[in-house]
Amino acid sequence: MALHAQTPRFNHHPMGGEWEDTRVKKVYQAESGLLWFGADRGLFQYDGRNFTFRPSGDSVQRAATAIYEDRQGTLWVGYEDGAVFTKSQSGKFALWAPQEGLPKVAITGILEDGNGVLWLSTYGEGLYYFQHNRLYSFNTDDGLLGNDIYAFVKDVNGRLWAATDGGISICALRAGKKSVYNLTRAQGLPDDIVRAILPDEKGNCWIGTYDKGFCYFNTKTWKFEYPYTEWTFGVINSFELFEGRELWIGADGQGLFRFDLLTKKLQRLACSDKSLASKVFDLHKDVEGNIWVLNNIDGICSANRPFEFIPGRLDNIQAVLADSRNRLWVGTQDGLYRYEPEGNGAYVPQLAHLTLNVLSLYEDNFQNLWIGTFGGGVYCYQPANGRLRHFTEQDGLTNGSILSIDGHNERLWMATLGGVTEYTLQADPLLSTAGPAHRNFNQENGLGTNFIYKVFVDSKGRTWFGADGRGISVLENGRITNFSQAGDVPLSAVYAITEDQRGHIWFSTAKQGIFEFDGKHFYQLTVKEGIREQAITSLATDKKGNILVVHQSGIDLLDPLSRHLIYFDDEVGIHNIDPNLNALATDNNGNVWIGAQNQVLRYTTLKEELSIHPRTLLYNVSVFLEPVNILLQNEFAYNQNNFIFEFVGLWYTDPKTVKYRYKLEGFNPDWIISGDPRATYSNLPPGQYTFTVSATENEAFDQEPAVSYSFRVKTPMWRRPWFLISTVLLVGGVLYWLMKQREYRVQREAILNKEKIESQYEALKSQINPHFLFNSFNTLITIIDEDPKLAVAYVEQLSDFYRSILQYREKEVIPLKEEITLVKTYAFLLNTRYGDNFRLNVSVNGETAYVAPLTLQILVENAVKHNIISKTKPLNVDIVLEENAYLSVSNNLQPKLTPERSTGFGLQSIKARYALLVDKPVKVEEDGFVFKVSIPIIKNDQA
Amino acid sequence: MGACIVATYVQAQSRYITSRGEISFTSEAPLEVIKAQSKELRGAIDADKKTFAFTVPVKSFEGFNSPLQREHFNENYMESTQYDKATFNGKIIEQIDFTKDGEYEVRAKGKLNVHGIEQERIIKATISAKGGKLTVRSSFAVLLEEHGIAIPKIVYQKIADEIQLKVEAVFTMQGR
Repeated sequence: MALHAQTPRFNHHPMGGEWEDTRVKKVYQAESGLLWFGADRGLFQYDGRNFTFRPSGDSVQRAATAIYEDRQGTLWVGYEDGAVFTKSQSGKFALWAPQEGLPKVAITGILEDGNGVLWLSTYGEGLYYFQHNRLYSFNTDDGLLGNDIYAFVKDVNGRLWAATDGGISICALRAGKKSVYNLTRAQGLPDDIVRAILPDEKGNCWIGTYDKGFCYFNTKTWKFEYPYTEWTFGVINSFELFEGRELWIGADGQGLFRFDLLTKKLQRLACSDKSLASKVFDLHKDVEGNIWVLNNIDGICSANRPFEFIPGRLDNIQAVLADSRNRLWVGTQDGLYRYEPEGNGAYVPQLAHLTLNVLSLYEDNFQNLWIGTFGGGVYCYQPANGRLRHFTEQDGLTNGSILSIDGHNERLWMATLGGVTEYTLQADPLLSTAGPAHRNFNQENGLGTNFIYKVFVDSKGRTWFGADGRGISVLENGRITNFSQAGDVPLSAVYAITEDQRGHIWFSTAKQGIFEFDGKHFYQLTVKEGIREQAITSLATDKKGNILVVHQSGIDLLDPLSRHLIYFDDEVGIHNIDPNLNALATDNNGNVWIGAQNQVLRYTTLKEELSIHPRTLLYNVSVFLEPVNILLQNEFAYNQNNFIFEFVGLWYTDPKTVKYRYKLEGFNPDWIISGDPRATYSNLPPGQYTFTVSATENEAFDQEPAVSYSFRVKTPMWRRPWFLISTVLLVGGVLYWLMKQREYRVQREAILNKEKIESQYEALKSQINPHFLFNSFNTLITIIDEDPKLAVAYVEQLSDFYRSILQYREKEVIPLKEEITLVKTYAFLLNTRYGDNFRLNVSVNGETAYVAPLTLQILVENAVKHNIISKTKPLNVDIVLEENAYLSVSNNLQPKLTPERSTGFGLQSIKARYALLVDKPVKVEEDGFVFKVSIPIIKNDQA
Repeated sequence: MGACIVATYVQAQSRYITSRGEISFTSEAPLEVIKAQSKELRGAIDADKKTFAFTVPVKSFEGFNSPLQREHFNENYMESTQYDKATFNGKIIEQIDFTKDGEYEVRAKGKLNVHGIEQERIIKATISAKGGKLTVRSSFAVLLEEHGIAIPKIVYQKIADEIQLKVEAVFTMQGR
């Protein structure tokens, strides 16, 4: 017998595209919150929107049969062929290759024991463990009950449980030795074949069998317990546990069940109309409180566990109540109903002989039901025995329309359209005929207005009234205080009232959102603060102290301290629920029942610590489309500057609401808000950057955890300071040098030119010197008659000489040979005049040597100019090529007594010109007998 | 394979082998019911190791509604020339002392090889032990699709996609 009770709404997660026909059999949630799925075609990850196929390193297609994340964050994936791959945090998959080799059969489980030893379970080869870099087997030879391991789990105490065909083997390594403790039929296991094991938080285990349903193994008493023996739904494949009291069971061929450990009731569920008899492969409870179901009909489904729907519909629900016996009562415009979960599950009309338009429901201390109606007064009803009593204005009611009832101990208050009536029930009103003591509050005796929507008794025994148009009033110690203003805000209709765990009163209004009242101040929450609507129809406080804010668009779950909101709508099945005013009730277990237009939903406050923020993963950073390992790299070259950041906010409860806020500090200090899970930055200039992203499910980013990645784009070498400085220095130096060089050259050229011009001038001057010409002409006259032939030769030589001078004067250097020829021509002219008294001896064979033009001529001329030339004192001029690459011009020193006026320019000019042409100096020596000038020879290549 | 295991088990201490083995199948299709049986089911059970092996030559099935149907069965569906035997061998899950007389419900987990395709199955059986004799009875279904036996669509109405099998075999302890 299975119950037809409330069920959460399942959403399907089709894999889509080419993976449509993939059969998914394993689900695993990593520490990061990311869901991994093992399918017959390999491993997939799922962020709530997209499935991503994660091929194993060797690209062989095979079923992924086991998934596990170790303490280091390495993901282990086992496959049907025994292969095991690991994914390090950098994202790369690599074949795990212990030197002993891998199993040859399917891996069914992977886990790490308390000592960090990695274990594998297989289907066919038992267990393996990996210790000190060696893979050891642990199978039937070691006492394991079977080598086909269906399930392999670790409990909170570190025990390893293996489900086999022969029972359960509890395995351990004790002092490095294999140890196994077996649980079989002999110990009370109902079936040999164990298919599923789920350890609970106490270290006890739920055990699912092949034929005999499920049982519980208590590790304190070391005994099996059998909470449910009527199981007829075949092989059990998987378990999941909510709140430690609700066991979800996946059966192989008979679908999905849950078992309430307190009521011992089994409920059959289905993810869709077609999947009642599905093969459920795996179940998983995620960190947000969703249940994931993998089966052969629907594929992957999930449901938000806290929100559940009562099957069946009722029109115009106006009041709900879950009584102390956990029965659901629903009041509508057309009557009163109770939900019967047994059988097919249906709303059964109650008190059908009365025409009831039920506005409010309440259960008093005597477990009597109070039924407030529209215009028909209130009924007190005991379902156990059918006793019924009707109260109207005749019994002191201030008005016949009762919108809300609440109570405290023996007192109960009824909010009506004519004020408030307080009943004091000294005894069960159904057992006496006397009218209850009553007291009325209305406009006449202190209430702000007579239209009261809501009455609420707080934990301090104060009674609060929500009124139409005049705000909120409180009755305390018999006195009424009205608040028609919340601070500066004039209050209109107050619809709903609740109290948080600090004793603050929260109330909702028709148009102004909700208010918090701490006894002194009012704090307003509007759409601006994140609630989705201003008109709030109901409020309730859940077991954890969060406030459910019910409105047209759905339900917002508000943390009164942090003001964090979670929105619930479509994904949990409650979009446009169109709730009636205060058609909501909190039961003894702290669950909230909400009547929405034509169905009732139940909100369970899960004991579990749930994640209330999307988990943001920055799962890929790529530079020029090349993925970067962000754990290892945070420096990039100047031209590695096109970044794409891919991230995801994991919010499986409602993935489509996820929005992102990101910024790149160092580039743009402003947050960018977007629904796009990627950010692209092109051509980042060099600099230090931090990319920060957070995801939200409720449009408020302030409290959402963010992830960051800091990195640097390096300055290119030529823009770094040391490079810039040295480059400037170097370039400056080179320029300076070049300029200096140029300046020097220009200077030298100028000097050279000047020298040249001057020497030419000097040479010309000396040649055209009237004295020289006069002498020459005298010589010519002398010989013209004596030796006309010589005269002709003389004139020829003279003209040759002048031509040579003209020819050479422009040149910087001339071959030594030519200069010698010139000097010899000159000597001929001198010999013609002085005869043998002037003697020029040339001993030079420098073939490749060069001299500055007219150098020798000027030196010879100097010698002639400054020395006596006579028969008795002949002048000998020697031109000698010296060993040390000098050319010397020397003469015997016999200075004229009246020296010819000399500018001294000739020798100066030679010295200056040579200083510009060669490094070696021109040497002038005089020892009293010989005057000698040595000029350095210019080699061809120096010229 | 099966025969080989039989041969091995002959060496064992507490081995039982078939003295009589019958297997029959029924195909209940909308238009036709086909029945056939073979008396050549052979098997062995090792009571100590809890292992077992069964084998039956596919060609030994007789019955059918016509000789032509038998030929179709052998040639078209079972391809019995190529896959001449159907076998099932594996382990018995339950711990049972067969030396004690009584009726035992057991599950046999093993590899069922039909048409050359192996499927792991857990098959339930009743074993009655009496005076050193074991009588094994079991009925189970074989999905043709699971064993790669393709039936043309048009024949669907004549051959069920799930064939019911029934086994009855008597084992005696070897060497007594």
